[in-house]
Amino acid sequence: MRIEIQLTRESIRTENARLKLGDGDCGALVEFAGVVRGKEDGRAIAALEYEAYDEMATRVIRQICESLGAAQPCEAVVIVHRIGIIPVGETAIYVCAKAKHRAEAFALVTGFMDRLKQDVPIWKRRALTAEELKSA
Amino acid sequence: MRVLFFAQLKDATGCASVELPAPAPVIAAELWSTLLAKFPALETHRKTVRLALNSEYATADTQFADGDEVALIPPVSGG
Repeated sequence: MRIEIQLTRESIRTENARLKLGDGDCGALVEFAGVVRGKEDGRAIAALEYEAYDEMATRVIRQICESLGAAQPCEAVVIVHRIGIIPVGETAIYVCAKAKHRAEAFALVTGFMDRLKQDVPIWKRRALTAEELKSA
Repeated sequence: MRVLFFAQLKDATGCASVELPAPAPVIAAELWSTLLAKFPALETHRKTVRLALNSEYATADTQFADGDEVALIPPVSGG
């Protein structure tokens, strides 16, 4: 399985990260985008700041994908996680998997998100108000 | 060895990393003793923190030695 991993400090352009179908072998493309919501713990926010242990995060993401791919054989998966300050409405995490059939692609994407939230050293560091975002 | 702190552990220690002398390899319990003596505020985090050695989660048998990069990993919250 081809695995592409990117930790970025820039906006995630999902249209650029998306895998391509059309080579004839794969019939399923499943993608997930996790977007920063406007409320955190019931309080209105303007952004979240994420922090990562980049080297380890990349390594753990690869291990998770390899492990999931052994059980859910997909042809390729793309993982992009944005780090730093992410305004409300913008994408923090993007996952895209393509496979022959939908079941393994769905399973890989959902399985990855579960493991991401258990094992990948990335943290929501703080929530920023509109004023804090202006001065950040 | 170099010990890295992330997220709320940066607040607890007041720094992002610290260099610790390691004349001989140590196990996790010994490493924690050294860290808590230097940063008592880590005590409240100890139960939830996982140790990593050179970008891999440590196991019960892991030994930490001079030249290693050790990281204290508080509960993660990516995505």
